[in-house]
Amino acid sequence: MKRFLFLSVGMVVLLCFSVVYADMTLTNASGESITFTDEELGTIITSGEKPFEGVTITITVNQGGPKGGISGPLYEWRDVWEQLTGAKLNIVEIPYAEHYPKVMTDLLTGTGQYDGFMIGSDWMGELVAGEYIVPLDEYVKDPRFPKWDPDSLPPSIRTLYTWGDTWYGVLNDCDGQILYYRKDILNNPDYKAKFKEKYGYEYNVPPKTWNELYDISEFFNGWDWNNDGEADSGIVMHLKVGAQGMYHYASLSAPFCIMPGEKVDKYHNVYWFDPEDMTPLINSEGHVKALEFQLKLAKTGPDAQVAWSLGEAWDYFLRGKAVFTFSWGDVGSLVQDEARSKIKGLLGCSILPGSYEVYDRQQGKFITMDTPNVWGNTTGGSWHGVISTLSKNPEAVYHLLAFHGTNKISLWNVQRGWTGVDPGAKFHFLPPYGTASLDDYVANGFHPEDAKEYLKAYYDNFFAPNIAPYLRIPGGNEYWVALDRHLSEAYTGQLSAKEALDRVAKDWEDITNRYGRDEQLEVYQESIGYAK
Amino acid sequence: MSLKNRSIKYAFILPGIFWVLAFTIFPLFYSFSLSFFRVRLGKPARFVGLDNFLRLFGDYKLGNSLRITLIYVAITVSIQVILGILIALLFNQEMKGKSLFRALLILPIFCTPVAVGYLGLTVFYEEGGPINSILMSLFDWKIPWLSQPFWAWVAVLLLDIWQWTPFCFLVVLAGLQSLPDEVYDAAYLDSASEWEIFRKITFPMIQPVVIIVLLLRLIESFKIFDVVYSLTGGGPGTATEVYSLYTYRTGLKFFDFGYASALGYLLLAMVMVIVNLFFRRVRQVYE
Amino acid sequence: MGVVRKKSTPLTVVRYILVLVVVAWAIFLIYWGVVTSLKPPAETFTITGISIPFLQFQPTLENWRTELSTRESRFTLANSVVVAVLATLVAMLLGVPAGYALARFQFRRMKNRDLTVWFLSQRVLPPVVVVIPFFLLMRTLKLLDTQLALILLNATFTLPFAVVISRQAFQELPAELEEAAAVDGCSDFTAFFRIAFPLAAPTLVAVAAICVAFTWNEFLFALALTSLKAKTFPVYLAGAEDTRGVQFWFMATRAILALGPPTVLALLIQRYIVRGLTFGAVKG
Repeated sequence: MKRFLFLSVGMVVLLCFSVVYADMTLTNASGESITFTDEELGTIITSGEKPFEGVTITITVNQGGPKGGISGPLYEWRDVWEQLTGAKLNIVEIPYAEHYPKVMTDLLTGTGQYDGFMIGSDWMGELVAGEYIVPLDEYVKDPRFPKWDPDSLPPSIRTLYTWGDTWYGVLNDCDGQILYYRKDILNNPDYKAKFKEKYGYEYNVPPKTWNELYDISEFFNGWDWNNDGEADSGIVMHLKVGAQGMYHYASLSAPFCIMPGEKVDKYHNVYWFDPEDMTPLINSEGHVKALEFQLKLAKTGPDAQVAWSLGEAWDYFLRGKAVFTFSWGDVGSLVQDEARSKIKGLLGCSILPGSYEVYDRQQGKFITMDTPNVWGNTTGGSWHGVISTLSKNPEAVYHLLAFHGTNKISLWNVQRGWTGVDPGAKFHFLPPYGTASLDDYVANGFHPEDAKEYLKAYYDNFFAPNIAPYLRIPGGNEYWVALDRHLSEAYTGQLSAKEALDRVAKDWEDITNRYGRDEQLEVYQESIGYAK
Repeated sequence: MSLKNRSIKYAFILPGIFWVLAFTIFPLFYSFSLSFFRVRLGKPARFVGLDNFLRLFGDYKLGNSLRITLIYVAITVSIQVILGILIALLFNQEMKGKSLFRALLILPIFCTPVAVGYLGLTVFYEEGGPINSILMSLFDWKIPWLSQPFWAWVAVLLLDIWQWTPFCFLVVLAGLQSLPDEVYDAAYLDSASEWEIFRKITFPMIQPVVIIVLLLRLIESFKIFDVVYSLTGGGPGTATEVYSLYTYRTGLKFFDFGYASALGYLLLAMVMVIVNLFFRRVRQVYE
Repeated sequence: MGVVRKKSTPLTVVRYILVLVVVAWAIFLIYWGVVTSLKPPAETFTITGISIPFLQFQPTLENWRTELSTRESRFTLANSVVVAVLATLVAMLLGVPAGYALARFQFRRMKNRDLTVWFLSQRVLPPVVVVIPFFLLMRTLKLLDTQLALILLNATFTLPFAVVISRQAFQELPAELEEAAAVDGCSDFTAFFRIAFPLAAPTLVAVAAICVAFTWNEFLFALALTSLKAKTFPVYLAGAEDTRGVQFWFMATRAILALGPPTVLALLIQRYIVRGLTFGAVKG
């Protein structure tokens, strides 16, 4: 009865609105509605002509199902979008580890089974270099399509969606890893006092450097600080091989091995390769020290984490079993989901800590800085849609991607943890940094304090003065996989940090040689903005 | 016999022969030629001579997967065969419900190996999976099944042993049951011990069967791919990256077709060596 | 047959216990899969011990319903069935006549024995050796992601079963019947179809079942050659592991669905398994 009343009131309201404003209210598979203006939807929809009638487009996405990360939103709006445009959307889910090879197989063999892909940004170099994906600049301006705002993205994320000045991706996910911590536990005066007694200093909340974070994590590891009757952990990470474990290392290591500088040159602001000859830097002293640190840090977490993928590690933190984790934006929004999380309202967030000590390759030694060397990161896939040049219906694909990139759907996604879509655009952030409203977040299930912490930390990260360079040259995925596998050998105790990274360097050299050193060098320089 | 020498026989057998030539021999030659090229899809292949084969020698990942595979084959096959014999001896007598038990024991053999790997994932799950939860309640101890190289390896072995021991059992049992009872009678009169009977009478008589089982399992074990793919994905690190998985990834994940072909040939060569050790015996069977 | 010996009671009890342990070990994995598929997802790991349905938890068919109503699981199941049946058909059509020829005729240039071993030798070939040439071949033929590609391949890899075991089945039949038929004016083909084929039928059915099961279980080629339309069930099964971890409940349901058909076949052809899987080297 109540439901009926609700519905009929809703219908009436809806009717009134549609008469007065001619706006359109669209309802997704979860039964939630969003009202759009005509301008936001574009003329293809508002004209009602359904120009894509009879067209079927096929999009690949990481396996996740109708409520899974990145794949979920596609299902969520499929029916509505099909009705509005007349097109049919075929969603092809492929397990993460198989996604890249399957996409490349399709492109390399010229099969053209897929019209678009929800790619990880590390594939971009290969896709652009091979001219496998369609540049979007013409479409973005076109009022026929739904409107999304490229200028809302911070420069750090914009870099991942573009090549040079050309747009290839449509706004979807913004990945970067930040530190999540338990505000309530770290601010507990008893614990603070005990810590001081043991370590001789008072810690910052949040910690400013990785070494400080290590001490805190070590202090909290192995005893029951949340009174649930079981011993708890200091930190939790997802270190499983073949499941994005290597991204942890990439974010953590940046302050140990990147010398900040005015511009990108041989010794400054470089992380992956020497920009003059493509020599891998991954086994340089800074990296080895970073990995040694991470191995030490991992000991202050559960043993099983070396076999955990994202969900398992996140759940551990959500269940209140660890003081720290550092991961993607999913965590912040999943904390709000009380079916999974026990720590809503207790969340602290910040940009990742820095390090006083950084390796200076020019001098060949570690130097100590006056303030911690802090790097923001765009670690991760920043999963977003691109259009295959083999597609016969690029316009329909673009329409779909742009529809998902509209401010309203994007924000809706960001406010729900399960979508896997993480904040980064201006309209995701709260004033003064952005244009979203706190009330809106609260109405969508956020604890106000958590929302403030979370969004501020992401703003700090994406707008940090230093942003760690991202690897997206041809073979990008292969380089990442090599890193992943050998890191895993170190995490599981098969190799020392140095041995593992030496192996990575060796593999990277092989890959570079296979792809052609000169070609790779050129793309690499281009991708990190190195000027000769 | 009148049927022995008719040309009609070719009509029966040639389709099969041509089929095999087309779908086995041709790909093998193709693969052989590929191994002399550097192949990138979408770009012309480049002749590189013996480069791919020379690369085999410097490839520590190859060394790793080769070592893993050889140790794996040796252990899994010997355990399967020994357990198979023991269980067959256990079953080789009258007992109630024998045919039911035998039927249940057959089940693993035909299970889809990928599915077995994924079921393994649930069984070996570290936080609350059945094995660990029982261990926890009994000894307050759990095994890091999939997070530790050694145990991940054990987990793969256990699944493979689970699946193929029943096959060894079944074949050896068939061998045992075809033995005439009389041979034992004399032994009983001599009142020899069980072990002596087995060693001096039973085993020599079932030895041909055991050799067949051994050969078949050796050949099949070298192919292992599915279970590893699904249970560990070759991890943690590269601790369970068996040869087939490494080759597959080289070829079809990173599209290095030339080198993957060379890797394939090395595997083929190893398997051929093993088969040749048994070759005479195999030919006798089909005399 | 079998060796019957008198045994003292205690030892028999010990033997029985051992037998039960062995049987329990053999079915545990399958049991666990079934049980997991019947649990509500939230309770996957909260129910301790061996999770006896009804006693320790209330089973639900929810996972099965979800899984069977998913479009992807239905068409991948259908693909698996089509590929298995047609590949077996091809293998039998090629293999049974070849087996008959090897059993009944004398080959000179290459002896019957060597031909048999030659057919057999394909099972020795590790599939990963030929997966790359096959991939490139199918790409040239524009057969990537088609059922046809999988049918051709699986027919090739199950052909040795068909040839070698049917050869043995025909050898065990007395040739006199066909000879008599020949005298009566039957052609060789008629003799084969009318007389030898029906007599060998039970074994041939068992061979077909083995081919179906092996094709059904095949994973490597299906993984390499299919991406969308022709995906088989085992490849679909591999998708229950998503970016955020394993969905154990669906995985268990799918795993049981995957291994159901071949295990049922195995039970139906029990008597022939030894002979079948040892290529007639051991008679069960």
